[in-house]
Amino acid sequence: MAHEVHPMRYVVLVSLLFALHVNAGVPDFKERADAMIDAYAHYEGKGDYGYAEIAARLKRHEQPEWCSKKLEELLAAGPTGDMFWMYPVTAIAYLDQGQLSDSARQALRRVWKTYMPYRGDTENHFLLYYSCLYLMAQYWPDAGPESWFNGKTSQANMEEARQWIEGWVKLTTTRGQGEYDSPHYMGVYLLPMSYLAAWAKDPAMKKRAEMMLEYLIADYAPENLDGLFVGAHARIYEEQLLERWNGVSTDFGWLWFGLGHPLKVPANYALYYVLASAFEPPELLKRIATDRSKPYTHYERKRTRNRWRFYDDLHGPVYKTTYVRREYAVSSDQGGALQPIQEHSWDVTWHVPDAEGVQNTFFFNHPYSSMKELQTFFVFPPDGAIEGIIKSKKTYDSPEKLLGGSAYEKIGQDQDALVALYNIPAGTRFPHINGFFSKDLKELTEDASGWIFMRGGDATYLACRPLQPYEWKPMGESKRLFSPYLQNGVVVQAAAASEFPNLAAFSKAIKALPLEFETAPTPRVKFRSLRGTLIEFTYGKAPILNGKAIDYENWPLFGGPFLQADVDSETLTMTYGNHRRTLDFKRLTVTSN
Amino acid sequence: MGAKLPPSGLFLNDKGEWKHAGFNHPFVVALDYAPNDPTTLYLAAGNGLFRAAKRGEEWTQLTGSDVTELRDLAIDPTDAKTIYFAYSHGIRVTRNGGESWEELATTLHRRYTEAIRVDRTQAKRIVIGGEEGIFRSENGGKTWTIAGASGFQILRIEQSPHNACDWLATTQGGGLFASHDCAKSFENSGRIGVGRDLYSISFDPTNPLRIAIGGWGPGVAVSDDGGKSWQERNQGLPRPDVWSVIFDPEHAGRLYASVQEERLYVSDDAGLHWRAAGLEGSVAWRMKFIP
Repeated sequence: MAHEVHPMRYVVLVSLLFALHVNAGVPDFKERADAMIDAYAHYEGKGDYGYAEIAARLKRHEQPEWCSKKLEELLAAGPTGDMFWMYPVTAIAYLDQGQLSDSARQALRRVWKTYMPYRGDTENHFLLYYSCLYLMAQYWPDAGPESWFNGKTSQANMEEARQWIEGWVKLTTTRGQGEYDSPHYMGVYLLPMSYLAAWAKDPAMKKRAEMMLEYLIADYAPENLDGLFVGAHARIYEEQLLERWNGVSTDFGWLWFGLGHPLKVPANYALYYVLASAFEPPELLKRIATDRSKPYTHYERKRTRNRWRFYDDLHGPVYKTTYVRREYAVSSDQGGALQPIQEHSWDVTWHVPDAEGVQNTFFFNHPYSSMKELQTFFVFPPDGAIEGIIKSKKTYDSPEKLLGGSAYEKIGQDQDALVALYNIPAGTRFPHINGFFSKDLKELTEDASGWIFMRGGDATYLACRPLQPYEWKPMGESKRLFSPYLQNGVVVQAAAASEFPNLAAFSKAIKALPLEFETAPTPRVKFRSLRGTLIEFTYGKAPILNGKAIDYENWPLFGGPFLQADVDSETLTMTYGNHRRTLDFKRLTVTSN
Repeated sequence: MGAKLPPSGLFLNDKGEWKHAGFNHPFVVALDYAPNDPTTLYLAAGNGLFRAAKRGEEWTQLTGSDVTELRDLAIDPTDAKTIYFAYSHGIRVTRNGGESWEELATTLHRRYTEAIRVDRTQAKRIVIGGEEGIFRSENGGKTWTIAGASGFQILRIEQSPHNACDWLATTQGGGLFASHDCAKSFENSGRIGVGRDLYSISFDPTNPLRIAIGGWGPGVAVSDDGGKSWQERNQGLPRPDVWSVIFDPEHAGRLYASVQEERLYVSDDAGLHWRAAGLEGSVAWRMKFIP
């Protein structure tokens, strides 16, 4: 008779395994969440945090008179921020719980008639707008058209919002997010789902939101290194591009998994997340997020933002590859202008004990500034558009910029080897490529072979081979590789320092790897990686790995050891060891073993 | 929470004073009204199509979550309940005053549409401009035929108030295109605006031969011979970057121009001399006289 494990004993064993990963000394989830609320509720600096402080104090049931007075002051001053105004006041409405004065409550009601929030032009804008509209229409279910800024009834607003939210969930779970994997805007997706999970009365909407929270956290879990959200990203801000710790994802890495430590003042997206459902990820996701004992490659399919012009399809596919191990991560998309302005297509990010203030990242880009790009994704008229963009995204039209994808960049990756090729048409604005060489890279050596060798942190060795001559440009304490050639490229190989006695041994091993390349007429590389894979990559063609072209047609929505989902499936299976957890959005069910 | 935006949306001038009407909304790009009720305006805006009753004061959103970032609109002059609009992903029409909408761009290769007009003498004739040129429908938008400017992005289309078979269209980079055969075909109309972008067209209601166009680069250009020749008339304007122009139907030769982030200017001699006319720092995407 086969040995049988008693079910109860099995559960106990699983719990024990899960418990082992918890870091000693790290406060538990509830304590971390509470600290985020306290940072706003008990703010003691100059001024106040406005709506966020009101919401945090209401959550704590503290100082209701101050909350009422402050709310009336803010509303009387006039709302600003459009859909970004909607989420704090929605939270305040639901956190009120009888604490606000009648006068404050009436002021809150009036403003939904007198202020018209702009719905925006991107996915996160719409999700905020419709989630808040849904909840406020639910809050005043019988209000007529005269009570709303858009002249619609509560019933009509709720139905319109429901349809959009359900459509977004379906699109995300079939074709991926358009504004995918943003270390900043991830908060703007988590926040409305947290609201709906906490406050939606419709059981289906509530359940869908709870499942989407898990889905969004799963989307982050395998692509984090010590809590840092590694590339590629649809959107990232420059502060976080170079200093990966410096942004919203850090707060969520800390909150969910106790990784790293939080920003001095947590992002208010994280605050509102914990003020609503404060969803704690299941243990399985915690394991996926923290177990880096074995290297793995994770795959994702996403989609482009809406392409209004120049393409036959509204959305194009984005194919992501992310290789992660304890020491570093290498991540990429396939290249191209997949998103406007803030796309980040590939990088290597390495482990450091404390990432605060550290530029632990390495990448190249083509500084692409193009009216065609803007008109693809926006309805801008041609004149004044770039001037308008640089009012808020200041480097968009700068030759020094390191942020942004390019129509003239193509990328191939296998594990921790990556090839980026550039084929820039003559006459293109900024006919050069930039490479970011962080101040925190050590032992940088320009070898006579053309390879550049360096060390990232104590645990990572990096090699890169620019395909064309270059020069160095200063960039604060860091520096920028500048290579002014239209046909160009770079080969990158990372390795763990533990694999070699020293950097010299790593360099020797890299130089022994077969490498052939040409830049004209079309950039092309043939490279045998450190892991033994023959990478053959010609600009404009699918990369060939060990003689087989990458099969983009069958790229999964999620693939790899931890997450599995087929395109169009509306499901996601999370796997860790023998444990599986499946989210099924068609049936709105969650199954675990 | 986002920067506080300056007032935006709809501005009305009655008896010389500019007044903000209705809501602040940053992307109100076009307006129209039905001839039988000029007190009710219709606005093409970022959030959708709005009916702005009581001279713009009471707004009702007539569209839902499925359309965004509207670019232009046109009301069937023979049927006030038939409203067309162009938007980021196509063309919609309602035939019941906004209760339901039908998509009209499904057969177009590229759906982005920037400009739309209904022929005032043939209500089933719709002329649109999009990413790939000017298209004409003779059956209310069921089918479309290329009418010209192929390969150019269209920025504006207007029909002459004097001769219903005369049309003009402006483009991004390609200059001006004219039709004299009832929008069956549009042909390039000289060098004006080529290599720059023309955003606005105004036929002078008081003079059949006078037309003005506005754009970035040419600024204000005026033709006094029905479009055969053009003269740039920017003396007195701070910069030749103009978003919209319009002739005053009640004052012969009076012409208004919106100059990029400067203000509105007015000329009493069809652009030969200009003076400030308010709305400092503004961009006026579209101007219209309302009876």
